[in-house]
Amino acid sequence: MIKLLQVLLRNGGLLTFVVVEIICFFIVVQFNERQGAIFSYSTGLWGGNLLQQRRKVADYFSLQEQVDSLAAENARLQEILANRRMMQVPYRDTFYTILYDSISHIDSIRRRATRPEFHFIAAKVVGNTVNNTNNWLILNKGSDDGVKADFGVVSAQGVGGIVRHVTPNFSMVMSPLHPESRISAKVKKYGAFGSLVWEGGDPERMTLKFIPRHFNISVGDTILTSGLSSIFPNDHPVGTVIGAGEVDPENPYFWRLLIKPSQDMTTISHVYIVDNLFKTEIDSLILKTPGNE
Amino acid sequence: MNSALMPSVWRFVILVALQLLLLLQISQSAGTYFNILIYPLFIFFLPLRLATPYAILLGFACGMAVDFGYSSPGVHASAAVFSAFARSFLFGFFEPKGGFSGKENVFSPAYFGWAIFLQVLAAFLMLHLFWYFSVAEFTYVYFSTILLKTLAAWVLTMIFAVFYTLLFNPKR
Repeated sequence: MIKLLQVLLRNGGLLTFVVVEIICFFIVVQFNERQGAIFSYSTGLWGGNLLQQRRKVADYFSLQEQVDSLAAENARLQEILANRRMMQVPYRDTFYTILYDSISHIDSIRRRATRPEFHFIAAKVVGNTVNNTNNWLILNKGSDDGVKADFGVVSAQGVGGIVRHVTPNFSMVMSPLHPESRISAKVKKYGAFGSLVWEGGDPERMTLKFIPRHFNISVGDTILTSGLSSIFPNDHPVGTVIGAGEVDPENPYFWRLLIKPSQDMTTISHVYIVDNLFKTEIDSLILKTPGNE
Repeated sequence: MNSALMPSVWRFVILVALQLLLLLQISQSAGTYFNILIYPLFIFFLPLRLATPYAILLGFACGMAVDFGYSSPGVHASAAVFSAFARSFLFGFFEPKGGFSGKENVFSPAYFGWAIFLQVLAAFLMLHLFWYFSVAEFTYVYFSTILLKTLAAWVLTMIFAVFYTLLFNPKR
């Protein structure tokens, strides 16, 4: 203490002033209610502000990580949704019909009553064309991630195509804007299904064929996936009807509907690759049937 | 040294007593804008040759003594420390051409005349009061209040300080 005093006195006014003033400040905020409250409030504000700024910087650097985890989370939720739409409650069984609602909160029983059909893999579009005759997407997930040929690709807004070729890290996806693409789709209002094709030109115009003439289709009707192709889950958005129905010139018993796809293929970026867990089984069943080999 | 500091010791006792026994009561009954702080005169009338660090420590002691009466620990001390520090700069600024002769013991009208004395005292008290009210309010949200209180207290204190100087006419 004596030494401190000696140092202060030797080093002149400014140092003494600063040190004693700091002591005063400490006494003021420590022993005065008003000043103490203001001080702690201000430091709280300042500290909170500082923390917030630091959080912002940290957030910026972990942005990619967050996007990835959100994409994975979305894939998980899409999977749950698609499986929920496929949920099969054995209605013939009276026991289940009555009790399903009361027991559905028990997971093990729900697993028995419903079987997951789809597994979703989050992916990002790293290559895309829309202006060619044959259009393709390239995704950043491949066979190492479990992707195989003939897997469907959907985005949150609509359908994104069908996987055709895979390498360990990438996959080549046939865009809906490809002349060979056929997507089984239905009119939400009736459940009547048809085949969605692209006839070239405008990437905002697709055609839904084979909707029977006796359905009264109007502009604005919603088109969903039918779930009949074992590639896409059912009831996933596809698009809306934008043109009044015209009779298919090649096949006069059916409509030829003009569709605006709900997923704009020119801006597609985050997608989910759909793995139908029963695809092999369904395909083998089709192959067993005479006339389908 | 002892004999040189004796008048200051007396001033300390008189001014702090005056502050706490009379002026504190007055300002408590007269309202928030009626403040007279006379104890800074103790710092002002410390010997001219006293080194600034000593003046600061003495100012701290004086301020703490007043703080015990005002039950505002550190607030007056902080202002007193500041004015003790500022004192040396003020005196340096108003130093006569050719420097202090060495005969002047304290900065009083007896040595420097009333004109210069009043100028230095006015600036000194203004600094002290502004610092005091800043620490007392402790937030610049009330900056206008701080300024008003400083101005009011400055006018009252100047009158009181001049009376004190006329009465005692300190020479040592």
